[in-house]
Amino acid sequence: MTENEPNTDDDVRSDGSGIVAPDDETPTWRERKERTVGLSRLTYEYFERSRREDQDMRQASDYVERDVLAFPTWPHEVIRNLAIASFFTGMMLFLSATLPPHIGPPANPSSTPAIILPDWYLYWSFGLLKLGPLNPELAVLGGSKLMADRTYGVLANGVVVGFIAMVPFLNKGSARRPVEQPFWAAVGIAGVIFAFTISVLAIKNLFPGNIHLLFDLTFLAPIVGGFVTYAVLKTMREGYMYDLNKRYYRLRPPK
Amino acid sequence: MSLERKDDYDHKGWMKEKDLTPVESTFLTTLIWLDKRFRIVDYLELMETLYYRVNLQMPKSHTEQYNLDNKFWYWYPLYTLGLFSTLAYVVAAISGALLGFYYSPSAAAGTEAAGSVAYESIAFIMRDLQFGFMLRSVHRWSAQVMVAAVFLHMLRVYFTGAYKEPRELNWLLGIILISLTMVFGYTGYLLPWDQLAYWAGQIGVEMSLSIPLIGEWIAQLLFGGFSLSQSTLQRMYIIHVFLLPFVVTTLIAIHIGIVWMQGIAEPH
Repeated sequence: MTENEPNTDDDVRSDGSGIVAPDDETPTWRERKERTVGLSRLTYEYFERSRREDQDMRQASDYVERDVLAFPTWPHEVIRNLAIASFFTGMMLFLSATLPPHIGPPANPSSTPAIILPDWYLYWSFGLLKLGPLNPELAVLGGSKLMADRTYGVLANGVVVGFIAMVPFLNKGSARRPVEQPFWAAVGIAGVIFAFTISVLAIKNLFPGNIHLLFDLTFLAPIVGGFVTYAVLKTMREGYMYDLNKRYYRLRPPK
Repeated sequence: MSLERKDDYDHKGWMKEKDLTPVESTFLTTLIWLDKRFRIVDYLELMETLYYRVNLQMPKSHTEQYNLDNKFWYWYPLYTLGLFSTLAYVVAAISGALLGFYYSPSAAAGTEAAGSVAYESIAFIMRDLQFGFMLRSVHRWSAQVMVAAVFLHMLRVYFTGAYKEPRELNWLLGIILISLTMVFGYTGYLLPWDQLAYWAGQIGVEMSLSIPLIGEWIAQLLFGGFSLSQSTLQRMYIIHVFLLPFVVTTLIAIHIGIVWMQGIAEPH
């Protein structure tokens, strides 16, 4: 601050304190901010701009005073949720009263049980560990694998999570309904089916049937499901867009 | 210069000329008395500002303006899944805190045959503790329900395109949260130290060991070694009851706070 305030002369601070009462010459906070340079100056300018923009938006809008164009969380959403929330809590208590958990035999490092499983919600991750047959054998390396099957499976987890994380940056635009974007809805359905089939693959030793068929179905079923979704939504879109257009042209008849 | 109070501060004279009812004058006297000591008017002003901030969101929502109620309410149950997962989290936290009074994370041999101390404390909760069976049941079911609700919540957000601008960062935060929920579940699954827990832990160690470059370091950090031992159970316990609750609660608060700021994304 000392460099910004040439007014406060040396004789004033002979007592050692740098604090002086503000006079007319003392710059206001606003002036100080305007006087800054570089990044802080840019930050200040942007804040001023965005504040002015908000102000304009508020004045232009039909809303009395609203910051966001969406369904208000408070109080609309919260109050409407309360009834359903008490229902859900009751449901949880009911479940735990009727289906209490079981505890197995104590841990014994010397006997491996026939069935080793995590909780159901980790089956997909467990299933990804069984992708060994898909691990490519490179001819360059003399038919040996680039990495161990297990490493391959663990990395597959990262690929799945990474893809899900990238979705908002791949799919942009204002479309909100599956019919508007059949492709992305198909990707979603394929993902859901894959989450299910890979979970079944994780418990393949409990699967009554051909394991090789199961392995193939794990990857075919999502693709087929995705294609079916795409076809259905594409067909639905015809009628849907017809409706939308009708409404649009009724509001704004062609000249 | 007189020491008399100036007009603006003569609250008693001001009250006299106002001709107040007994209720009003009692209220004002109390308020002035308290305000002289605690400056409560400043806080009341803050409360007032907050009140108006909160209530200013009231007018027409997008749904109401474009008459989308029929489209929106049909899918409404899916829009409450986020609240449902939070609710399950709270129930799990309460029942988990109660369970924590009776559980001890020790892999040392217990008094009975074959079981460890941890295993026996679970057996104690289920057999001898009043209401303990129900308590463990509530904790387990709320955990299961939370994971299911979080997953369905993610599907709802995906299929209604609610992750799009300006909500990309909240989607990323959600992915971190769903992963941490699964870690929560996994660490809790290991705590009873029964056969299933032990061998699930074994797979966990092997999985972290097969991560390239940092695998051994991760196994040391999370499982306290390359094979299961007392330190594994201890670490799972601390992660489950100390680390994750702080981290996940904070992230949930930020996640919901962002939803509050941005509003619920509606289908158009």
